[in-house]
Amino acid sequence: MSATAIGVLLVVVSTMVEGFGQVFLKKSALESMRRNLWIGLGVMVLTVEIVLYSGALRFLAVSTAFPLTSLSFVMVTVLSRWLLGEVITPKRWIGVGLILIGTSLIAAHA
Amino acid sequence: MNPESHLPARLLIGLAIAIGTDTALQLVWKTGVADLPDTTSIVEIASAVAHAPIFVVVIGLMAIQLVNWLKVLDHADLSFAKPFTSLSYVTVCLLSVFYLDERIAPMQLVGIAVVVSGVWCVASTPRTTIATTAEKTPEGSLR
Repeated sequence: MSATAIGVLLVVVSTMVEGFGQVFLKKSALESMRRNLWIGLGVMVLTVEIVLYSGALRFLAVSTAFPLTSLSFVMVTVLSRWLLGEVITPKRWIGVGLILIGTSLIAAHA
Repeated sequence: MNPESHLPARLLIGLAIAIGTDTALQLVWKTGVADLPDTTSIVEIASAVAHAPIFVVVIGLMAIQLVNWLKVLDHADLSFAKPFTSLSYVTVCLLSVFYLDERIAPMQLVGIAVVVSGVWCVASTPRTTIATTAEKTPEGSLR
């Protein structure tokens, strides 16, 4: 596997990991009895995400890695629907899609 | 008027703080990562991160971000709040122009407009679709 492929894989995995970390933090707002547990899990998972993303930057230029991080908005939206039962209206999906395109345009030309 | 279309002031302030800390974090992190040793070992990178002074600032910003973010999530869906943080891409880009004298490409201006329109789309959807403990009265009904 090439260095670029490893870097891209690390960024994609880090966005997935961030999605789960964010879901755990949201869980802390939903379950007051286990609030600290969810916060602890969320922080732990987000720490793993930081290590993965920092590792990815060793294989990829920031200009390549940064646009890929906007995938986290899609991951968070999908996991919010799947694991939290949030209602994602078509307008919210359109918004996430526009953000994905817009952030990619900003970062790709940085 | 649909009450969900009006964001409470504390949620707006929380989202603004989230964007501000995310912007600062990206700029500081970018500086810190540039100073890491040139190695492909994840263990060595993790060790270097643990010993680099600039990452103390990163951790401080992350702590502020975490406390603020938990407050935001008490009052909004995750899928509603998270897209707002994309505005930090815009603020980082604009700060680079105003303070670092970097040039902004025409395509980046298009990107900024597209991000802002995306956030506007999300902002016009209901901020909560599931009940959080902070949004419930002791009887369990929504505030």
